[in-house]
Amino acid sequence: MEIADFSQPIRQSIKGIIVIFAFNVITFVKKFFILFIAFGVSVLRSKSIGNVTPTMMLMAVIGILLIILIIAILKYLNFKFHLSEDDFHLATGIINKDNTIIPKSKIQNVYIKQNFLQQIINVVSVKIETAGDKKSEIEISALDRPTALLLKQKLFHKTSEVNENVEAIGRSEEPEVFFKVTTKRLLLEGLSQNHFKSFLLIISFAFGLYNELKDFLEELELEQHLEGIGEFNEATFYNLIITNVIIVIGVVLISFLFSIVKTFIINFNLEVVEHQKTIEINKGLFNKVSLSLTPSRIQNLVITTNRVKQYFGLHTLAVKQAMVNVKQQKNFNIVALEKEQLNHLVNKLISNYNEEESEKAKPRPYFMRISTLEMLVFGVVLNGLSLGIFGIEMLWINAAFLPLAALYVYFAYKKAYYKISENFVTIGSGVIDTTTNILEIHKIQSIKLKQTIFQRPRDIASIVISTASKSVTIPYISKSEAILIYNFLLFKVESQDRDWM
Amino acid sequence: MNFTNLQIQVEDLPNVEGVTLKPIAKSYLKIIALNSLALYSLILGALYGLKHLVKEDGFQDNFWYVFLGVLVICIINFIISVLAFKKRKYAVRGHDVIYAKGLIVHSVTTVPISRIQHVEESRSWLARHFGLSTLKIFTAGEAGSDLSIKGLPHIEAKGINDFISAEVNGNS
Repeated sequence: MEIADFSQPIRQSIKGIIVIFAFNVITFVKKFFILFIAFGVSVLRSKSIGNVTPTMMLMAVIGILLIILIIAILKYLNFKFHLSEDDFHLATGIINKDNTIIPKSKIQNVYIKQNFLQQIINVVSVKIETAGDKKSEIEISALDRPTALLLKQKLFHKTSEVNENVEAIGRSEEPEVFFKVTTKRLLLEGLSQNHFKSFLLIISFAFGLYNELKDFLEELELEQHLEGIGEFNEATFYNLIITNVIIVIGVVLISFLFSIVKTFIINFNLEVVEHQKTIEINKGLFNKVSLSLTPSRIQNLVITTNRVKQYFGLHTLAVKQAMVNVKQQKNFNIVALEKEQLNHLVNKLISNYNEEESEKAKPRPYFMRISTLEMLVFGVVLNGLSLGIFGIEMLWINAAFLPLAALYVYFAYKKAYYKISENFVTIGSGVIDTTTNILEIHKIQSIKLKQTIFQRPRDIASIVISTASKSVTIPYISKSEAILIYNFLLFKVESQDRDWM
Repeated sequence: MNFTNLQIQVEDLPNVEGVTLKPIAKSYLKIIALNSLALYSLILGALYGLKHLVKEDGFQDNFWYVFLGVLVICIINFIISVLAFKKRKYAVRGHDVIYAKGLIVHSVTTVPISRIQHVEESRSWLARHFGLSTLKIFTAGEAGSDLSIKGLPHIEAKGINDFISAEVNGNS
């Protein structure tokens, strides 16, 4: 297919029929899955229901597939798009005709995606997102790559620039692959993830399983192995410890494996390409995605790392934009970045950000009181549960819990800080992870001062800062300081005439 | 620049604490009272209905304790919402809208007018009877950053609505 100029309404690639067809079949099967099974089983068992024979079933299935195919073809024929000066036009609908017009300036993002089927037939889908609601999302499901890239480029360029730039696009903008993840770093990334949640989940599951299979496990060969090592009458004791250790190791391994596989599938071949103004991310194994980040569209930056990751030099940068699709948000994570690479990217995405620009300020020690209270509630629940399920002996769990709780409070407070400079708000938080939240002041949508009735006598308050993508909290600072920050941020937002997107 | 260096400058800035917030219309208290009384009577009525349906001894013996407990919770809730009524205040400045509310968790939210996407004035059946309306202010932010000022006198809500609409349209 030759590269089109998009000024006339055109259809997508003819392969689009296959994509639409496959997609419709999947949704159809999903909807009637249970009905299918029930019907199919009963037909197979009794050879026929009423007058329905397996052959007729087959015919029916083929008939349905045919209908879906016809619908797919009609959908394909009635799907036309083109670009005008400032807008993107799309006409869809077989019976009900829809005409969608999106002004170029309102487009939040354009992704290029490729799922498994699309990889096989070598087409990509282009997704256009606005900041509006879910309905305004548009997907063109089959275009060949050069056309898709050109479309994307044209969508991102304002009309005035297009004329000059179209010529230049091919040669002057030599994209530079800034960062490409290696297998080793991905492996490390998967390994050093915060396994705590999955670990807890799997361990509770394993505990339940263990209780069920206790008798069975005791008869396993382990016992025989132990006979040689320990004394016979202590065998059962060792047995118990060994099985426990094995279970714990097994759980740890499973949760590690889980994280590694997940990291690999999502971030396979992660690549960050630097363009003149934007940054492009390519990644994915089964679902290949390619997306561009435009600095003006970015609302928040979140940097996450932890102790282990810091040691290996792994940082995750999450870019938050104003959009509804939460699932899509996850694609805006760039993992396994070195410190320098991270700083470079942050500087590229939000200009003039300087980490050392201002001093860190801490929340009031009241913060620790709240964390302690949280842990106390958690402890009470934990103790109650273990008492109820396992009996009085389980109280030893406190021996492990209390130091952990103390560490939680200590680290939560240690890692909490906030920085406010001329143009940026930086907020640090986290317990196991170290999270840094950065936002530009002129992107703030609203500011809220919060104070509970218990905090009033102590003159403590929190500030919640909302941007179009996320709300962040500066927790538990003194009221007078909170008011100062409140006034300062408001002044900044209102005195500058800068747009938030 | 260091934040503490900004202190002097910061103190000269327009102060949100100095703004005299205006309480919402008194008659909105009646709407709150009517609404909560309707809710309580529904709950208590349902509970009383259960007494006639469930014939188990355990339930019948303890019924009045449960009923009293629920009643006390309702009364406390009512007192809190009446006290919290005084905390509902608002102000419109040249560049932003301020809304304060909450007794147990007191919050003061400010939305700059330049960030408002659109405004809406809505009136329920009950509110129309008292000549009140609710002003809803939408930003592009998360749901949490939208404002909904309830119990404004109708004329005032209309005025604010017009003012903000004019500002928003003028800016863009």
